[in-house]
Amino acid sequence: MADQGGTQVTKGLSARSFSTRPGVLSVLAVASALLVGFIAIALAGKDASGGYTRMIEGAFGSPAALGETSIKTAVLTCTGLSVGLAFVVGLFNIGAEGQFIAGALAAAVAGHALRLPAPLHVPVALLCAAAAGALPALVAAWLKVQRGVHEVISTIMLNWIVIYWVHDWLVVGPLRAPGAISVSGTAQIQATAELPRLLESSRLDVGLPIAITLAVMAWLLLGRTVLGYEMRAVGANPDAARVAGIPVARRLYLAMGMSGALSGIGGALLILGTEHHYPGVFRTGYGFDGIAVALVGSGHPLGVLAAALTFGGLRAGATRLQLVGIHPSFAELIQGLAVLFVATRALFAGGLDRVAARLGRRPS
Amino acid sequence: MNALELVGVSKTFGDCVACEDVSLAVRKGEVVAVVGENGAGKSTAMSVVCGLYKPTRGEVRVNGRALEPGSTRAAIAAGIGMVHQHFMLVPPLTIAENVALGAEPGRGPIFDRKKAEDAVAKLSKDLGFGLDPRQLVADCSVATQQRVEILKVLYRGADVLILDEPTAVLAPAEAEALLGTVRTLAAEGKTIIIISHKLREVLAVAARVAVMRRGKLIATVEASKTTASNLATLMVGAGVDDGAHGAGAKGPPKDRGERVALLRGVRAVGDRGLPALKGVDLELFAGEIVTVAGVDGNGQTELAEVLTGLRPVGEGTFELSPAASSRDAIAHIPEDRQRRGLCLSLTVGENLALGRHRAKGLTKSGLVELVDASARAKLASDLIAELDVRPTDASLPASSLSGGNQQKVIVARELLATPRLPGSPKLALVVAVQPTRGLDLGAIANVHARLREARDAGAAVLVVSLDLDEVRALGDRIVVMAGGRVVAELPAGADEAVIGRHMLADGDAAHG
Repeated sequence: MADQGGTQVTKGLSARSFSTRPGVLSVLAVASALLVGFIAIALAGKDASGGYTRMIEGAFGSPAALGETSIKTAVLTCTGLSVGLAFVVGLFNIGAEGQFIAGALAAAVAGHALRLPAPLHVPVALLCAAAAGALPALVAAWLKVQRGVHEVISTIMLNWIVIYWVHDWLVVGPLRAPGAISVSGTAQIQATAELPRLLESSRLDVGLPIAITLAVMAWLLLGRTVLGYEMRAVGANPDAARVAGIPVARRLYLAMGMSGALSGIGGALLILGTEHHYPGVFRTGYGFDGIAVALVGSGHPLGVLAAALTFGGLRAGATRLQLVGIHPSFAELIQGLAVLFVATRALFAGGLDRVAARLGRRPS
Repeated sequence: MNALELVGVSKTFGDCVACEDVSLAVRKGEVVAVVGENGAGKSTAMSVVCGLYKPTRGEVRVNGRALEPGSTRAAIAAGIGMVHQHFMLVPPLTIAENVALGAEPGRGPIFDRKKAEDAVAKLSKDLGFGLDPRQLVADCSVATQQRVEILKVLYRGADVLILDEPTAVLAPAEAEALLGTVRTLAAEGKTIIIISHKLREVLAVAARVAVMRRGKLIATVEASKTTASNLATLMVGAGVDDGAHGAGAKGPPKDRGERVALLRGVRAVGDRGLPALKGVDLELFAGEIVTVAGVDGNGQTELAEVLTGLRPVGEGTFELSPAASSRDAIAHIPEDRQRRGLCLSLTVGENLALGRHRAKGLTKSGLVELVDASARAKLASDLIAELDVRPTDASLPASSLSGGNQQKVIVARELLATPRLPGSPKLALVVAVQPTRGLDLGAIANVHARLREARDAGAAVLVVSLDLDEVRALGDRIVVMAGGRVVAELPAGADEAVIGRHMLADGDAAHG
């Protein structure tokens, strides 16, 4: 990342504005969460070390496990980037869940209805998902810009609008697979729309490379482009940005649109990669977990990637906890604790500064 | 015995020595001023006194007893109260509620509002403040808010008052009144320390003046045995350009050039939806500095916003010459630097590019427009060196700079960045609102010199200032605003009394 050693400002100003300190705090937060989770399991009278061993095996122990982790990491990266990108302009996008569902449904429809050669079908389906995810996000941005409606309120309400439309109407009604045995769910997507798998022995597909590419693109956008700089200025101080001639409303639309598109792509990766149709019941929580991923990743695209890997591994490994009689919800506990510790990072920050001072350099 | 004593106080932040071995003794009932340039360590030393910072070495004694270091609670208990430069008030609460906040009278959980209001009314009457304890702070003027701050520390039983640049935000008449309050308090036996840049005020009110430079207290002089220029010399360590605060514009007035801006009967509403400009007539010409005098809140801010395109014109004619029609040709130093001038969480380097960030010299074209990081870094280090921004590291967040240095960042960006960027238009219009507020003498002289340079390079310059010295020092032409109108146009170096008369006479009439 940015060169922290030089004393002169000869390189990467914009990249330097991302400091390393939040990253250290996030690592400490996740470590503390794992520790407290460990203690909680032990207090419940279960085999904590055995459980953690199984969880790590379940996340990283085999090609199949890595495949599961990679799928979850890819999806969480998308929703985490989604929330993080809205944060950049100062907006709190709680609507990632609804945007995720909209994108997932659009991918399922495009994957089924379109007849395209494989190299085109996946990108087109992803674009449809991006557009579908962007739509509710842009509605929230429009309400914010035109009417001053707080985006937290509008995105929460839009979540329910999307959820009820899709689950209580579209997938049990007009979009339901004809002649299907199950009561709901859309038709299977074409083989050409399925995400290509990278390994025979696991479900590892191109979703992860796509998500990593998106994270790197977001990083370059924010750190290296004029547009990204303007977005960060809008987030830091919209008044000053306006005085500086930056079109604040347009940047809000852009960030929210990209935010929604990323959540939509996250939904598409799950549909095109593993589900292969939009199922009747599809309450994944990936959108809401995106908020946690963005927080733990402290808004930095590469931090989001790391946080997504952590939470993806937790999700994938959680099922193995049952093998030693531990309820899988302990994995959710750990995830929640990590967010709690990031949110209360001030408690860590003082100690971190003291350690850094002892090491003889100032964290910035 | 000394009411307050600093004994060898040093404070370092990492490698940065903010103040070093500062020793100062203040007697009961004495008024002592602490002067020094931005970053000289005045505020740091006083923050140690009121317990905000723990000194690295040394101690603070109150009435001979050592104070627990780094404890604001201990400082308050010992009778030390600080009135900060940026007010710490809660706008939706009343004056009495603000004053009592944190020390509310009452039984258990019940707040005894009546008791608080009575206490505040009595304090206010004793000092001749004439405040209504039930008024909302949100509805108070800046001067009134400052009085509330002073009442707040007195209410807590402070015997030692520290005032951080108390007159920086006040109009001349209000500043006079404040100095009167300081004298009253001192006569009652309160001990007062004033941090200030304004040497004339300092000499008018303080018995002794402590001069700080680069973290050290280099001299303590009797006010009666020194002069403003002596103090200035001590502060900067060498003779300063007296032109900064001298009378009259520097250099002969040049022939003014083409008309850059024309306003005829311009009306505009302010932030609260009330008329702020009520028919402004004004012309600005290239190669001329026009200074605007007036009591704060008489339309100066809104005039600046109209000129920079931030506030729509309701009625009347407003025209800019073609040269000033491009945004890059207009420099704007806004009144509220933290709200409008800076993105505090971004770096100094990023702030130095704000608003000029799309200029050709600062971008690289690629698939999308890219930030040219090395060009930005070069610009940042040049500007930082030229205006002496401290600390010099452009990768620090702007929030880590002192207020004076933040102002330098804005001034450098607005006045110096554009001429350095290839392909950018010449500055045609410079609108500066209180460009030197909170700056020290050296920096003020520097900013004035930059404004004159911009004029000499052919820009029309408009400077709004509450400081009549500045209005007279800079203006090739002086206009006075009152009640949302230009009520007088005066030649360079017009008499202070004449300007003041126009400011007040018409202003009061228009307020009704």
